[in-house]
This record gives sequence, C-alpha cells and structure tokens, in this order.
Amino acid sequence: MNRYFLYLVLLNMLTNVIIFVPKFLLQYRFDGMLISIIIAIGVGMALMYVDSLVFARFPGQGFPDIIQDQLNKPLKTIILVTFALFWFIAGLLTLLGYIDILHRFINPELSKAWLIAIFLLILCFVIQIPTKKVMYLLEIILFINVPFIVFIFFKAVTSEYLSWDSIFEAGTHFYSMPNISAVAVASYVFSGYTNIIIFNRLFKVKLKGVNFLIIFGLSILTLFTSVMVPIGMHGVDKVSEYIYPWILMVDSLRLPYSPIERALFIFLMLYINITVISVAVHWHVAFELMKGTFSRGKGKKKNRIVLALFFTIPILLVIRIDYMQPELLSVYWLIARMFFEILAVLGFFFFLKRRKV
Amino acid sequence: MNIHPIKESIKANIQQSEDLVIKELKAEEKYLEVIYINTICDETQLQDFLIKPFFEIGENSHFLSYLLSHPKVKLFDSKKTVQEELISGKSVVFFENHIFLLDSKLDKNNTVTETSVEVTILGPQSGFSESLPTNVGLIRQRYPEKTLVIESTNIGSISKTSVNIVYDSKKVDQDVLNKVKEFLSSIEIEMFQSGEQLLDFTKKSKRTLFPTIMVTERPDRTAVNIAAGKVILLIAGSPFAMLMPTVLKDQMSAMADIYQTYWIGKFLLIVRYIGLITTITLPALYVALTSYNPEVFRAQLALSVAGSRHAVPYPSFVEVIIMLLMMELLMEASIRLPKAIGSTATTVGGLILGQAATEAGLVSNIMIIIVSLGAISNFVIPISTFSFAVRVSKYFILLLSIFYGLVGVILGVFMLLAYMVSLDSFGKPYLTFREERV
Repeated sequence: MNRYFLYLVLLNMLTNVIIFVPKFLLQYRFDGMLISIIIAIGVGMALMYVDSLVFARFPGQGFPDIIQDQLNKPLKTIILVTFALFWFIAGLLTLLGYIDILHRFINPELSKAWLIAIFLLILCFVIQIPTKKVMYLLEIILFINVPFIVFIFFKAVTSEYLSWDSIFEAGTHFYSMPNISAVAVASYVFSGYTNIIIFNRLFKVKLKGVNFLIIFGLSILTLFTSVMVPIGMHGVDKVSEYIYPWILMVDSLRLPYSPIERALFIFLMLYINITVISVAVHWHVAFELMKGTFSRGKGKKKNRIVLALFFTIPILLVIRIDYMQPELLSVYWLIARMFFEILAVLGFFFFLKRRKV
Repeated sequence: MNIHPIKESIKANIQQSEDLVIKELKAEEKYLEVIYINTICDETQLQDFLIKPFFEIGENSHFLSYLLSHPKVKLFDSKKTVQEELISGKSVVFFENHIFLLDSKLDKNNTVTETSVEVTILGPQSGFSESLPTNVGLIRQRYPEKTLVIESTNIGSISKTSVNIVYDSKKVDQDVLNKVKEFLSSIEIEMFQSGEQLLDFTKKSKRTLFPTIMVTERPDRTAVNIAAGKVILLIAGSPFAMLMPTVLKDQMSAMADIYQTYWIGKFLLIVRYIGLITTITLPALYVALTSYNPEVFRAQLALSVAGSRHAVPYPSFVEVIIMLLMMELLMEASIRLPKAIGSTATTVGGLILGQAATEAGLVSNIMIIIVSLGAISNFVIPISTFSFAVRVSKYFILLLSIFYGLVGVILGVFMLLAYMVSLDSFGKPYLTFREERV
C-alpha cells in the first residue's frame, strides 16, 4: 500500500523535534546550517529512492525473508543482529529523550525508571503484534494526532511574537560552507524509509512517484519550520542556549479560549502518542530482525528472551542517564546513523540487485 | 417389514413419563398406533393431519397413500433417529407394516416481541421471537433474495440446540464463513441456551475484553447486515441473533442512524463517539488533573476544582473509586430489581445518596458531575455487550492515572487502541472503518 510508506517517513519527520535535531542544527545557524539542510534533502531523497527501488524487486518480502536462503547462517546472524541493534538504539534514544522531557515538564516527582516502565510495558505489547497491525496502529495514531500537531504548528507560525527579522537574519548566513555533521543530522527526517526492510512485507505494489513528491515537500516544510520557528521565537543569537528549543518555543504559545491555556501540555500529550508509536515501529523492526535469526519452530521462548532484553536494558540505562548526557549521545548516533544508512543502502543495491527474485 | 419388535424396543427405551402418550386408533378394518409426548407436541395438528383423515378416508390403501404424500409425514429411517425425533416433539405413527414420523412439533413462544434492549424512536419496533422458524420467517420476509442460504446445525452435547446459519451466498466473504463454521464446530459445551454464550466461549479460546460477535434483537438490523455480507446465527429458543464478524463501528452504530437524514445520522454517530471517549477517560482525567497536574488547567478552573474538593478528607483516587463503585452497584441493582421498584433505587441512589455525600463532605460536587456524566455517556452506546466492555475498560485507565497522572491517561488510551487494533473478528480487523456497501 502506497500510503503506508508515506506514514513511515512522516513519523520520523514528526519525531525530529524531540531527538535533538533542531538543537544540533541551530548550533550551525551561522556556519552553513541552511546549505547543509538543502544538501541533506538531496542525500536523503536519493537514499530513499534507491532503497525503495531495491525493495520493490521483492514485493511482500522483508529483509530477513530475502536473505533467508541466500547466506550461510553465521553471516546472516551477524548482519541481522547488527541491523537489529541499530534499530533498537534508534528507538531507545527517542524513548530516553522523551522520558527526559516528560520528567522535566510534566511529572518531575516521578522517578524516571518508574515512568519508563509503563512505556516499556506498552511497547512490549505493541512490538510483538503482526507487522500489518503495527501499521494499522500507526495509521490511527497519526490520524488522531497530526491534525492537532498541525494546529499547534499553525499557532506557532502565526504567533505575534514570532520575529520574522530574526528568521531573515538567519537567512543571510546562507552562503557558507556546509558542515558534514549538520548534513547527517538533518537527513534524519528522511530515515523513516529504512523501516522498509521489514515493512516491505506489506508493500505488494510499486510505489508511485507522487509519494516522493509529497515527501519532498513535507521534508522542506519540516526542516525549515523545525529550525526557523525557534529562531523566530527565541531570537537568532540566544536560540542555541536551550536544550529543547522546540518545546520551549511551544511553551510560549497561549490558547486564550481553551480550558488548557498552555499549548505545551497539549503538545506534550500529542507527542506521547507519536513517540510511543515511533519507538514501537523501530523496535518492531528490531524484533522482527531478531526473529529472522531464529530457526523455525522454536521461536517462542527466544522471543520472550528478546522481549525481556527490550524491557530491562532501557530501565538499567535510564537509572544512569544523568551521567551519560543523552543529547550528546543522540547527536553521535545521528551522525553515525547516516553513514550506516549509506553503507546499508549501497550494500542492498549492489548485493540484492544481482540476485534473482 | 415386521414393526412389532421396533415398537416394543421404542416403548422399552423411552423412560416412562407422565406426558408420553401411546394411543391406538381403530375404525372398521383399519388399525393405527401413535406415540408422542404431549407436552412438546401440537395436538391440534395431530387431530387435523392424522385423526380426522383416519376416520374420513375409508379404505386402507387410500389412507396409506394419504400418509405417503403428506408433506409433514416422513418414512421411518432407523430406530435411533425415531427415538430422537420422538423426544424432539414429532409423533411416531405405526400403520400396517410401516412406521411414519409426523412433524407435529409444538412451536411455543412464537409471538414477536417489542424491542426492549435496542430501542429506536423511528423504524420497525418489533424484535425477534423465541422460536427459530418464526425468526427465520422474519428474516425471509425482510430479505427476499434467492441467494439467501439457511444452513442448520446443532450445538451442545445435551441440549442439542438447533442453530441456523444464515447468509447471502453472493455477498458473504468465503473466508469469514469458513472461520465461522470452524469456530462453531470447535465448540464443546453441554448446555447451549442462547447465542450470548458464544461471547463467553470466544473468551476461553482467546480471552478478549471487547465482544467480537454482535448480539441483536432487531430483525431489521439483521437483514441490513446480511446485505453487508455478514454471517448470522439464529439460535432456537433465543430472541437474539448473532452477527459475525463485528467490529467497533458496528457496535457503535444504532439502527436509528439509517432512519434519519444523512447529517442527523452522522451527528448522532459523532455524539456517540464523544460519549465513548468521555465515559472511558473522564474519571481518570479527574484523578490526573486534581492530584498530579493541576497546572494544566487555566488558573481559575484549577482553583474552582480544588475549591470544590476542600472538604474531602482523602486523595482524589479514593473519592473516584468510591463513587464509581457506588454507580456500579446502582446499575446492577436497577437491573436486578423488579420494574416497579427500579425507579425507587435510582432515586434513592442517584439523587439522595449523591446529595448527601457531597453535603457530608465525603465527595466533591465536581465528582458527582463526573460520575453521572460518565454513566450517562456509557448508556449512549447502543449495543449492550459493548457498553459493558467499556464500563470495565475505564478502570484500566483509572489505574494508570493513579500511578502516572496525565501521562497515564494518554498511555492508557494508547494501550486500549493498540489492544483493539490487535483484535480480530473472524479475520476482520477490529478498528476498521471501511463502509460495506448496503
């Protein structure tokens, strides 16, 4: 189904504001942020196109199904486990980032371990349901939440406190050398397409070109609003002082006629759903990749072990999180992610292109 | 054929009982013997189809050909079936060297009743009866199509309840039909009295909170659903039809929707969904917003909520649990009570207890509003099995809000959605909103 691909990409575009993408990009606002974003759009679109081309040759098959009989077992296991690890970390960083936000803004008295436990409980339920149903859930969650998020974006853009002069000032720094790590971070908004390695099981027909057009338009919109709106709100000089420029920007919005006056609470409530489904999609991919390494028949017990790991590792990490500087970790991971993506896509391209279906 | 030993063995096998009738008829050279159970046998039919012709038709051979050509009379198959048919209400006729079965079953409870569970203002007002043939007739009247198929089967090792599977062979989804048949053949139960037991049975194989089979008492709803390609089960002795598969949107639709103009129907549907969300989240939101995150509200609202709670001596979740429990007791009591006293219970419980509880400072005024609003919203759900499920699921969200506040409410709703998405009703995803063409 064509629209499912769109949802996967859209999901990452929505989560970028909580996984420190704006914060990191804003550091380069005088040193090639805009040009880096434009390069990132080119790179991201190209990678996405190539990847979807490769997987279109295997309609209805996920990555583990494709390499099932192609590689010998140890090699297959190593590849799948590496991939699974990457997807697990992707979800984990989103989750840890959001737990930190909730702890700061909504429930400061609640311990982080206790808070993350309930998230993990729900995630463990969601990631093990069939791929098709994860997709249904994603569709429903997006349908419920995106209209409200768009409303808050709209409120932000039309706010009287948004200083367009600051935005234009940031625009004057357009001609500078692009920065490779800024490119890597900005290309995160596209990386939803990588989930195709499992969700390709649902794609039985070829993707239409119009999808890429929509994604192209949305990505420009997402990237520019996610850096420009905080600049307009906080001013171009001081904007990089905040850890969460986007969330503090939303906190300056007021809804005078609503029983909930501060838009921040509505925004955070909506983003709980977006975060959970985003982590669920990534972890579902990781879980299915791990399942691909098991031989048929004796999966049940091993599935439980994997789920138990998914449950315990984040709890152990969140207890020590204050010593690890999650925002720094996220940035390292965001950069590493792009190189891994390029490697993986090129690998798929040369390796799978030659294989007969 | 020598019928004598067969006759004797039947008499010996059937336990002697008050209502077993063995009657010999004699007229000139004709001789006939009939055995039946008079409590489940329609004796006027016996009179019309057997006894009158017996005395009116003169010759032996003429009466024999009358019996052979009568549509309600069947020739003998085997000893075992004869006994079963006798117990189920047919009369066994011994004439010359033949054994006949006369279908003279008494069709009790075949009066069509008025709808009492799913009431609508407009549209047909009659429900199903408790008789299977009458119910099939009601459906046939509303659905005069050649493609309507009625299959018969039995469920229950003791009760041997006859169940009719009704569907439109042109419109039915073959996968669904196979799944339904597989499900019915997998049922192991002794006493099968009513289709609602199937709900419980699905729970045993795969426990679900939300019903995946719809129970309805309306023939019009049933006919519309046949046209939408669903499979219907009619159970002998039950005034309810089972519709399969059933998803959320079916549970939320009332027949009144199609007896209204388009926009009014849509408006009523939206109101119902608002009611669903309200009844699920309202108590949990109260706990979250008074005890955890009062800063979410604008200051005036937060203050007035806190002001109404100032006399209450315990945390908000205790207050909510007390009031919800009281509401549940009230609802259960008003179902159990005879109709004459039922209104007293609601007055005493709802008005006096609520008023007194606030004046005594045990619960806040806002709490009373929330509990009654939640209960009223719950009654908006048209299908009663689903409204029970919703009643239970609000406690789950309340529990999460006690431990996590506002975050818990959101996560609870998310979890409920995820759970519904993971459910299947005979191969149909539970949260699908795709409209079937009617």
